[in-house]
Amino acid sequence: MRRRDALAWLGGAAAWTLPVRAQSPAMPIIGYLAPESPRPFDSRLKAFRQGLADAGYVEGRNVEIEYRWAEGRYDRLPALAADLASQKVAVLVASGGAPAALAAKAATKTITIVFEMGGDPVALGVVDSLSRPGGNLTGVSSLSVEVSRKRLEFMHDLRPAAPSFAAAVNPTSPTSGSQVRNLQAAAEALGVRLHVMNASNEGEFEAMFLAATREQAGGLVFTSDPYFAFRSTQLADLCFRYSMPAVTQSRDFPAAGGLMSYGGDFAQSHRRAGSYAGQVLSGAKPSGLPVQLVTKVELVINLKTANSLSIAVPPSLISGADMVIE
Amino acid sequence: MSVQRLRFHGLFRKYFLVLFLAVVIPLAANGISEAWFGYRDQRARLDQLLGVEARSAAARIQGFLDDITGQLGWLVQLPWTGELDERRRIDALRLLRQVPAIVSLTLVDGSGRERLYVSRIGLNRTESHTDRSGEPAIIGARSARLWYGEVSYYRGSEPYLTVAISGNRPSVGAVVAEVNLKLIWDVISSIRVGQTGYAFVLDSPGRLIAHPDISLVLRGADEATLAPFQAARQAVGPTSAGFATSHDAEGSPIAVAAAPIPGPDWTIVVEQPLTEAFGPIYAALWRTGVLLLGGALFAGLLAYALARRMTQPIRLLEEGTERIGAGQFDHLIEIRTGDELQRLADSFNAMAAELAVSQERQERIAKLKRFLAPQVAELVDRKGDDGVLEGRRTEVVVVFCDLRGFTAFSARAAPEEVMSVLSEYYDALGAIITRYAATLTSFSGDGLMVLVNAPVPVDEPAVRAVDLAVEMQVSVQELIVGWRERGYRIGFGVGLAMGPATVGRIGYENRFDYTAIGSVVNLAARLCASASDSEILVDATAAEAVKDKRHVHPIGMRLIKGYDEEFLVYCVGFTQRPQAS
Repeated sequence: MRRRDALAWLGGAAAWTLPVRAQSPAMPIIGYLAPESPRPFDSRLKAFRQGLADAGYVEGRNVEIEYRWAEGRYDRLPALAADLASQKVAVLVASGGAPAALAAKAATKTITIVFEMGGDPVALGVVDSLSRPGGNLTGVSSLSVEVSRKRLEFMHDLRPAAPSFAAAVNPTSPTSGSQVRNLQAAAEALGVRLHVMNASNEGEFEAMFLAATREQAGGLVFTSDPYFAFRSTQLADLCFRYSMPAVTQSRDFPAAGGLMSYGGDFAQSHRRAGSYAGQVLSGAKPSGLPVQLVTKVELVINLKTANSLSIAVPPSLISGADMVIE
Repeated sequence: MSVQRLRFHGLFRKYFLVLFLAVVIPLAANGISEAWFGYRDQRARLDQLLGVEARSAAARIQGFLDDITGQLGWLVQLPWTGELDERRRIDALRLLRQVPAIVSLTLVDGSGRERLYVSRIGLNRTESHTDRSGEPAIIGARSARLWYGEVSYYRGSEPYLTVAISGNRPSVGAVVAEVNLKLIWDVISSIRVGQTGYAFVLDSPGRLIAHPDISLVLRGADEATLAPFQAARQAVGPTSAGFATSHDAEGSPIAVAAAPIPGPDWTIVVEQPLTEAFGPIYAALWRTGVLLLGGALFAGLLAYALARRMTQPIRLLEEGTERIGAGQFDHLIEIRTGDELQRLADSFNAMAAELAVSQERQERIAKLKRFLAPQVAELVDRKGDDGVLEGRRTEVVVVFCDLRGFTAFSARAAPEEVMSVLSEYYDALGAIITRYAATLTSFSGDGLMVLVNAPVPVDEPAVRAVDLAVEMQVSVQELIVGWRERGYRIGFGVGLAMGPATVGRIGYENRFDYTAIGSVVNLAARLCASASDSEILVDATAAEAVKDKRHVHPIGMRLIKGYDEEFLVYCVGFTQRPQAS
């Protein structure tokens, strides 16, 4: 027994000397590129840091993060991405949608980029294939873009009598074209008319709601777009003012008083992105990290809002909802 | 000395080797056998452990599938009648929420037409009435109730499985579910084999379905990625009995065991790094090695000390005998081991003491031999007592002889010639004196004095003395012939007298002589001096003693130097041996 103690002591002594060596090189730096300001990103960052911790990295202890915020001005993303690339960061995380990923891709061909987006990275030309990303990119895609048609379906379930619905589209989004096509096909299948409304900045929101009301749309279906997703509170307020039932991709929307949301679980996608960033720091090559799709797509319904809009939510919707706010 | 040293060294090495091996061999045998049995036990334990791990992991994966099929079973309990029941739709949607792995559900009625399709991604469909009775999922479910499809990769990345289940009667139809197998990750990543071991799942063609590293699964059917996993399954073999060894993607050796997942015909393989699996035995081996090393070291020290202890007395003995051999009889061999070696040293010491005594005696005898006849010397030696040499008064016959004209010759002749003559002379006389066991008391130059009847008495000393004198004369006369031929004018005369004298040793320290003192000695010397060449003059006492036995005749009264009156002197008659030539 004493012998074993002695061995353990020796082993401990050996282990004790290791961290001293491990600490000596400078901490690696993650460049974090986001299209918005830090406040709406709070919950996303939390998930991202969790993912980093899964891979063994803790900000401030063995990794530093250099943040670049576009503050909602997506045209600033390329310059910010180039700035991070010039700082020779160990890994560049392009978070919060396709624009950031595309800006990062344009900025560097050597630094590994880990993206987090809602669209299809293959269709957007970010990577060649999901299983073998190739190049210096990999990342995580929530299924938000793909499921925009489901939003129309849910809205139709909610208001089966309504002959037409409005679709809110950000024409500057790289996925807008495919989403509109997708929605139109769904509308045809469901037998409803679709009014496509464009809004690419906050100033156009009001006009969009006015148009939807004018067209007597049964509800407003938001396409998946980070610009919309990060302005949930504003949109919820507008919905309330215009008594317009609406569905967006982000759960923040029903939480802020909106009616309904259906989209990929951003907590999951950001956490996975964090985990991938950690793996890249540990030496993994992006070609060995297939693009991950988020499996969880969540439906959130705010029954209070439904009541105030005098909409009876059918049991099929409630039973299928992941979260119901009463 | 160097040879001695080498022999000593050899003995030390022998002792050292024997003692060392006596400790190390049993120690090593014990260590090696322990290691071997430990290894076998560990293998057996590993066999059992990995087998259990594999079966339990298989049960958990099967549990994941059973959970899904169990939930699906609820959808195929009621028979289809007329229009789609809203309840059924709600059940399906609820199931979708309940089981995250299910991506879509298709409900088919008894006739094989699609009645309801719900999906997480795509649009739901109701009452499409598409005929799906020809699809393998429906055919499979109808024939076996539960049917598992082939694993397919969604967009070449995510593994999907089609599961179909039919009710217990045809009218309830069937349900077909698309299952995203990526969600097995929750199950597979929670399986730990030992510290770092894990499990992975392969389908029957050998594609990776589940692995704790989801990236590997998402690479789809990639040959390079799959190779090590397929090799691991190959290593276990189809019987799945016991564990086998293989190599993981990094090429490190691993211990693998497998168990079948019967439902979809998959195989679960559990693997553990060999270093970890054999960790305990490696630790034991290491321990044994250290113990062996320590034991060997200890044995070496012990053997060294013991061998030293054993050879030290032997070395002392060796040294002692060398010194005793060199004549240092007073040397004491000091060994206090309290065993046979001490006894040996003691007897060596005793022997040395005896040798000292013996040598002393030898020296004494050697001295005696100088003047005693060898026979007498032997006698004294045997008796171990030189008491006979003590001073006493006894009847002796004293014989004197010397060469005539020697002084003149020696003054003329070269030293070599003188020494050669003396050498021949003494050679001849010495042999005769020895033969007659007479005692040579002294000699100087060409003259010598011999005693008969002392220190050892003999029968008829006078006769013996006369015979001695005759033989001396005969021998020397023969020599004289030769000398004369060489031109030396030398003669030889003998005188002898009988009477009482004091005999004994005289001298100092180691220089002792045996001699006789008394008038008879003087008389004999005078007789010799007055004897001419080839003459033996005898006094009356001696003549009286031999008169009947030897031929003596008086030659008249003679005045002898040192005596006041004349003596009647006798001459011994003898015949010279005829010349050899």
